[in-house]
Amino acid sequence: MIRRSNNLAFARALVATNLKATLALRGAFVMGVVFMALNNLTFFIFWWALMRHVTTLRGWHLGDIQVLFGVVAAAFGLTVTVAGGVRHLGRFIDEGHLDTLLTQPKSVLVHALGLRSQPSGFGDLISGVIFIAWSGQVSWHMLPFVVAAIVASALVFVACGIVFFSLAFWLGKVETFALQLWDLLITFSLYPEPLFGGMLRLALFTVLPAGFVGYLPARVVHAPSVSNVALLTIGAGAYLTFAVLVFDRGLRRYASGSRFSTFG
Amino acid sequence: MQPAAAPVNAVELNHLSKSFRVRRARSEGVAARARDLFRPRTETVLAVDRLSFSIAPGERVAFIGPNGAGKSTTLKILAGILQPDAGEVRVFGLVPSRQRRQLAFQIGTVFGQRSQLWYQLPPRDTFELLGRVYEIDARAHRRRMGALASVFELGTLIDTPVRHLSLGERMRCEIVASLLHSPRMLFLDEPTIGLDVSAKAVIRELLWTESERAGVTLLLTSHDTGDMERVCTRVIVIHGGRLLWDGAIPALRRSYLKAKRVTLWSETEHLELTLPGVRVLSSSSYRTELEIALEITPLGQVVDAALRQAAIRDMAIEDAPLDDVIRALYADADRRSEMS
Amino acid sequence: MTATRIAKYTAFSRIAVAHARRERGELYGRVAFFAVILGVFSSLWRAVAEAGMPVAADPKALVWYLAATEWILLSAPPIHIEIQEAIRRGDVVYRLGRPVSYVIAEFAAGLGLLAVRAPLLGLTAFLCAFAFTGWTPPLGALVIVVPFGLVAAALMTGLYLWIGLLAFWLQDVAPVFWVWQKLMFVLGGLMLPLELYPRFIQRVATFTPFPVLLAGPASFVLPNGIVTPGVLARNLVIWCFVTTFAVCWIFRRATSALTINGG
Repeated sequence: MIRRSNNLAFARALVATNLKATLALRGAFVMGVVFMALNNLTFFIFWWALMRHVTTLRGWHLGDIQVLFGVVAAAFGLTVTVAGGVRHLGRFIDEGHLDTLLTQPKSVLVHALGLRSQPSGFGDLISGVIFIAWSGQVSWHMLPFVVAAIVASALVFVACGIVFFSLAFWLGKVETFALQLWDLLITFSLYPEPLFGGMLRLALFTVLPAGFVGYLPARVVHAPSVSNVALLTIGAGAYLTFAVLVFDRGLRRYASGSRFSTFG
Repeated sequence: MQPAAAPVNAVELNHLSKSFRVRRARSEGVAARARDLFRPRTETVLAVDRLSFSIAPGERVAFIGPNGAGKSTTLKILAGILQPDAGEVRVFGLVPSRQRRQLAFQIGTVFGQRSQLWYQLPPRDTFELLGRVYEIDARAHRRRMGALASVFELGTLIDTPVRHLSLGERMRCEIVASLLHSPRMLFLDEPTIGLDVSAKAVIRELLWTESERAGVTLLLTSHDTGDMERVCTRVIVIHGGRLLWDGAIPALRRSYLKAKRVTLWSETEHLELTLPGVRVLSSSSYRTELEIALEITPLGQVVDAALRQAAIRDMAIEDAPLDDVIRALYADADRRSEMS
Repeated sequence: MTATRIAKYTAFSRIAVAHARRERGELYGRVAFFAVILGVFSSLWRAVAEAGMPVAADPKALVWYLAATEWILLSAPPIHIEIQEAIRRGDVVYRLGRPVSYVIAEFAAGLGLLAVRAPLLGLTAFLCAFAFTGWTPPLGALVIVVPFGLVAAALMTGLYLWIGLLAFWLQDVAPVFWVWQKLMFVLGGLMLPLELYPRFIQRVATFTPFPVLLAGPASFVLPNGIVTPGVLARNLVIWCFVTTFAVCWIFRRATSALTINGG
């Protein structure tokens, strides 16, 4: 048998299979998409209603908030459709699903990330793009920046998910806790950064990088410059590298068998 | 790379040891639970204790033992999932924990209780993805898929979503999935669990045939002695992490339990057979089932005694069932460990 | 024999309380979320105040408003999930045979859960709102919010029960719950008092129970609330009746369908 060392081909095939599996349940898929889109709309109604009375909020207009919201929603949608396994990483680790992946000659992390896809993510992706387009702040020649911003934001999302859910390698059942952190990240990303002061702002660019998920990508879409594009790229790269390192350490621990089990 | 001269064993295990730290919960009560959280009480459990054996390429070996004996641990170490604490492990000359990726191309795994098939999709989609996982040339892969599909008689199953397949059909597809990349060795963990009798028979026959045909080495764990007898030629028994028995199955039966099961259909309603070493298992009208310890009383003596009471219409002689043999083995091991 | 009947149902409540104690993890998650959202909104309303308040209310009062609406929302246990599962599994059929009304039992269980969540979340609401604003509304206002809030949460529980019962006909009630929840966020004035929404939304809201559930009780912390206690009490009573009727009706339809089809 001729062997072609092609990791990219594997990743592509994995994503294709994953999406195919999601589309297999047509009804659930459509419902997921529609309801997520509706969900985002109702959240946005809050901002629309508020900004009717208050035209600027510390320099932010409704259009700025739309772009922020659109980028975060699209990035989140991209994350849970393409790398939806990240949300289930804790369960995979806990229930031994990694065993089968360990017997195969491909990256356990990539394989695990590509094992699940959430249909509602398409709703997020579509509604996110619509929000950006409709904001009146973006023109066609900005498209590459929009795509770059969404992809970078998604990479940070995935990186954070990997770190949060990889805690299962050390702490066992962390599903609820990791999910809280994950939700916290999303919550903070959705609110304009000028609302937060001092210490919190520092935290939002380091430990809980909502700044790299929401604020900075939105700025790149809005007003791209060499500095903010560079910062975003470096930031996304750094978080992803860190996440891969954390997962690798965790996997080594898993292989040593020192994950505790509790007997009664 | 191995020198061409020396043939490599499929599996080479030398004094393999593995232990786990297990958290044992203290008794009930809030204070106890709080202490558990901050200072957990841990025990070291020795899962595998200086295990040694080797398997030649093409052999079909059953790997059995009671629950918690260390079978799964050993299997996981061989497959590269867990790292050993001590000892030497080689699979086709490769060290699983260090050369995991290289080894992955040589081995296949079938976990009876875990599926590697995508649930919502037909098996064909999983097979195609596996082609990418194992970097198989597309055309060769399609040929291989077709060949295996016909050997395993998948027919239309290959295009039916997995969630619509019965357990037996699914297992056949799992095994095909594990053979797609033509591995030299297959690890099977409880492959027939939950299957009905006919499905089991089919799986066993297919495994045996494929192994014979392609020279695939099989290492199979199971609680079902039927799996052992129909598929494997050799059995390794493990208990408390230690090797208890390693040899051919007929030899196991012969050396361990020198007993025969004899069923007699007689012309009288009941037979009275009170001979040393003879145990009456059941006695119904015109039919008596006996277990005879051959080293105490030869078979002929028992038959003579029966014939003296009445004419014998029919007789069946069987070896003691393998289940009994194995149970006796475990019981013996337990007794020995209790005494030590 | 009403005493024994009540005792029967309180037993369900007590089991639910024990159950809730075990689901602590999820509850602590809610507490953390509560703290975060109040923190974010206290910053938000301060920023809005800089631009000019759209309502005749202090930004601090609006943080307390959110604390109140979130308290009611998070306290009501989402029992529709359990009910859907029970219906799917067929457990309901067994329960129908017993001399206990299924809906009353489930409602009692829901109240039991509410009894555990409401105090904890209420305390969280109070402490967080105070921590972030450094201010409390007049005591009178707080004293009124609590009973109205509890009744609203109980009513919400009843409505979740109704949604759960839809599982007799629908494969999955989750979409219904979702739409319901989103409507409640907007028409119930979860994050924004209703008067900030356009006229037509406010008008639509009056035909729904949502304002009564969230905006009504919470508005007492605002200086010039939209309703008086008397009016809110009347509306709550009306919607309680409507809900009770809706639940009983849907249950009767469901059980008669069951007996006709043989379960």
